[in-house]
Amino acid sequence: MSDERISRRTMVLGGGVAAALGATALGLTLPRLLAHRYAPTPYDDLLQQLTDRDVAIQVGRAVRARLTKFDDKKVARELRQRFERRNLAEVLDADSAEGRLAEAGGWVLPRSLTDLCALAAG
Amino acid sequence: MSAFIDARTIPSGTILQPDLAIIGGGPAGITLALALARAPFKMMLFESGGMDFDAKTQSLYAGTVSGTSYLPLDASRMRYLGGGSNHWGGWCRPLDPIDFEQRDWVAHSGWPFGIAELKPYFARAQALVEAGAWRYDTAASAMTAAAKPLPLGAGGVYTSWFQFSKQRDSILPTHFGERYAAELKRVANLKVFLHANATKLHLAANGASLEQFDVATLNGRRFVVRPKTTVLALGAIENARLMLASRDVAEAGVGNTNDLVGRFFADHPIPRDTATLVSFAGDIASYYFNAWDMDGALLRAAFAPSDDFKRSRKVLGSLTTVESPVELDELGKAAVVTTALALGVDASSAKAFSIGCGLELQPDPERRLTLTHEHDLLGMPRLKLSNQVADTDFARYRLTMKELGRQLLAARSGMIRLNYDSRDEWLSALDWGDHHLGTTRMHRDPKQGVVDANSRVHGMANLFVAGSGVFPTYGASNPTMNLVALTLRLADHLKAMRR
Repeated sequence: MSDERISRRTMVLGGGVAAALGATALGLTLPRLLAHRYAPTPYDDLLQQLTDRDVAIQVGRAVRARLTKFDDKKVARELRQRFERRNLAEVLDADSAEGRLAEAGGWVLPRSLTDLCALAAG
Repeated sequence: MSAFIDARTIPSGTILQPDLAIIGGGPAGITLALALARAPFKMMLFESGGMDFDAKTQSLYAGTVSGTSYLPLDASRMRYLGGGSNHWGGWCRPLDPIDFEQRDWVAHSGWPFGIAELKPYFARAQALVEAGAWRYDTAASAMTAAAKPLPLGAGGVYTSWFQFSKQRDSILPTHFGERYAAELKRVANLKVFLHANATKLHLAANGASLEQFDVATLNGRRFVVRPKTTVLALGAIENARLMLASRDVAEAGVGNTNDLVGRFFADHPIPRDTATLVSFAGDIASYYFNAWDMDGALLRAAFAPSDDFKRSRKVLGSLTTVESPVELDELGKAAVVTTALALGVDASSAKAFSIGCGLELQPDPERRLTLTHEHDLLGMPRLKLSNQVADTDFARYRLTMKELGRQLLAARSGMIRLNYDSRDEWLSALDWGDHHLGTTRMHRDPKQGVVDANSRVHGMANLFVAGSGVFPTYGASNPTMNLVALTLRLADHLKAMRR
């Protein structure tokens, strides 16, 4: 076997790096690839709608930083009502159409999204 | 064809007696002189400067500023033929109809007439500022057919269009002095005096008319002008200064019986980087950044609140432009990823842009010019500007930007970050448009305005004021093309008076 031939170990490592780089190019950050499983919460039925929960938590922290009080239970109850027979995008469209907005570090976002993110960051 | 006259050669003690004296050779003064060519009266125009910048002449503008930061008074103006147009950026846009209305949520708002009074003059004003054919918002369909605009959901903010004073070779925009010097020389009934500084207005003993005014030159000559009619066209700041400084009959100054001259000063604040706009699709049409040529008309897109939105949300005018690409911080990236994923939008090519704006201020009598005890080289009292911007002015603009963000979300096309919240943040980013407005405001009621609907100083038979100083409410549009239109209207009034 020639020294120039690629060992199986090198191939596996190289393939892993390539996959990671590809995933990053698609916007999937390393933390997400290595995302841990979250401890169960009373709001998992809502939080499972967040495709990238780690990133959403960053937004949620900014939302909570602006508020002196955030009633998780009340917010979750209201969100569940909004999500009856509607998916996330539809709820957010309704928020935008009806002017239900909130800010996260200055970012103007649909209120249901900031609520979800804040719950995730709780 | 008559050459311009150098006032420094006029013997002291000379008395000049034109039918009409125009004091000031900026866009308003030059427009008036050109519009009255062939009128059956003898005109004289008096300009402080010459054909070029001169530091000593410019220093006559120096004054002080207190309160909210503002440009030095001798840096925000240009004292030679052409006036403010010598440092004009060329931005043009007509005022909006609502700018003329009295609004219950805007104290001191409203003109004595509606936009219909100015519309007949817009075409000629547009020609004088050389901004090409009148397109503005009527260009929307053609422009957006040429390149897709950033989609906005239904709402209170729409894409509006600036035009620009036309480019000739590499010169942008129209510098009125340089551009119209030859035409002024061809006006048979006009004499133009350069280096001629009006230093005092003298009223008749009853205070009801202007009898004469003094002219001084920096080489020590002093002479007198006794016109039948006079138009002050010195710019909003200097008009007020000359009126306040002329106190031999009226103790408070000319036209200042009701203590209004110099009050309600305004400009357009131009806070930088007020917001960050993200386009999920990435690149946006280049007409958001640069002017596009449409059959000789240069057009650039801006975001403007509709008049309906202004009414329903009680906001004032603003014009928001996309400035340059910016990088997002970690929170920004997280907000974009989270929002795009939630909306089911592909944001893999998303790009972020810095947003700038010019915004309208609420009329404020305490934002004002007063005389100081210091004097310039010609003995005229210098000015102090007491400047202030209300928190509500920033808050109103923030509401408009939030609406733009809402409309981007509704269209699933993008989103916005509002970069400033606190007063300190706004003030740290503040710049100004050099659009001096409002110090001799127009109102039918002498207790609420310095000039009447025809720009005549209340209580004065033969003294008028031209320029944006008479704007009682300001709008967000750049004033030059509008003040030129208003001056053309004044010219018609002066012609009618003579008949």
